[in-house]
Amino acid sequence: MTPLLAAACQPAHLGDWRNLIAVIWDFLSLSLFSLGGGNTLLAEYHYMAVDQYCWLSSQQFAEIYAIAEGAPGPSSMIVGLLGMGAAFEEGPLWALLSGVLAEVAILLPSTLLMVIAALSWNRFKTSPFRLAFERAMGPITLGVLFAVGLKILRISDHDTPAYAVSAVVCFLMLRTKISPLWFMAVAAGLGGMGLVNR
Amino acid sequence: MPPTHWQLFWGMQQVALSSFGGGLSAWSERIVVEDKAWMSKQEFITGLTVARLFPGPNQINMAIYIGSHFRGPGGALAALAGILLLPFSVLMGFGLAYYYLHTTMVMDRLLAGVITASAGMALSMGFKIGAAYLNDRVALLLAAISFVAMTVFHVRLVPLVLVAGPLAMAWYWPRKP
Repeated sequence: MTPLLAAACQPAHLGDWRNLIAVIWDFLSLSLFSLGGGNTLLAEYHYMAVDQYCWLSSQQFAEIYAIAEGAPGPSSMIVGLLGMGAAFEEGPLWALLSGVLAEVAILLPSTLLMVIAALSWNRFKTSPFRLAFERAMGPITLGVLFAVGLKILRISDHDTPAYAVSAVVCFLMLRTKISPLWFMAVAAGLGGMGLVNR
Repeated sequence: MPPTHWQLFWGMQQVALSSFGGGLSAWSERIVVEDKAWMSKQEFITGLTVARLFPGPNQINMAIYIGSHFRGPGGALAALAGILLLPFSVLMGFGLAYYYLHTTMVMDRLLAGVITASAGMALSMGFKIGAAYLNDRVALLLAAISFVAMTVFHVRLVPLVLVAGPLAMAWYWPRKP
């Protein structure tokens, strides 16, 4: 069974430099909005990759999210996989280059800001702006993370067994310190045996 | 004697390598504070506060903080390269394998299972930080508004943060007693 690709819109090709600039600009400008460690941006990435530029189907997005979660390093490196998907038709070298460029673009602004923050922290450690910012962004991040979680749940799960597995994993993530890789391995087994379907 | 650029690069590489399989934060503290004694525990915790407050992945921000703390922007770059190089290379390898193989029947079946687990992991993110806000009604209201705006009204993240952020900051602005 080959996965059905959503062919609703034409994939934006990066060979056209205007597309390339637009994409790099999108990542650059999202960078400073990656609150709470970057996972708040997942819904934006989905919008970009699936609805706006049509690089991936919703199902593929769910799959590369799983890969980013399972791979070492922060899951926000999913941006590298998005870049790769955007240029995969052009061949593996372009895919790699595009993956690296996307990651550089998403990290560049937040890195610059972080360097400034690290070097001048003592000066604005106690400023009211910092205190207000810290307290204000927490609750917004909370709401956004729930929205993002629900979005990924919706694009990943389509029947009751799938929702049941997700619910169990969610519970175990919160209550135990078992490595998430085990959950993914067991779930892969369930998929392999045909117990969960798309 | 503060660590050199090379030491920062290798130290962060060690953090990245140790944490294959999870627990980046714990490893970073163990290596930077205990093994190498570059920072005191207190300094490390300050760094973590800054890393969490500012946009960007927390552990990557932490590496940038450590690098700039000792060697300014150049040190930040060295530490960043150290923490990213291995995990990102592995990820790119996984990515190529995925894009080549995902249409095969076996991979399709396995992935159909795996995404149900990762969806559960995604769902747990909100619950994980939610407990801290249970006693703050305004915070819960803000969270609810953000959630509903995105889920029901499909408001995008940037306008949401640009509107809700300043309002929330005004509410939480420290008042003189």
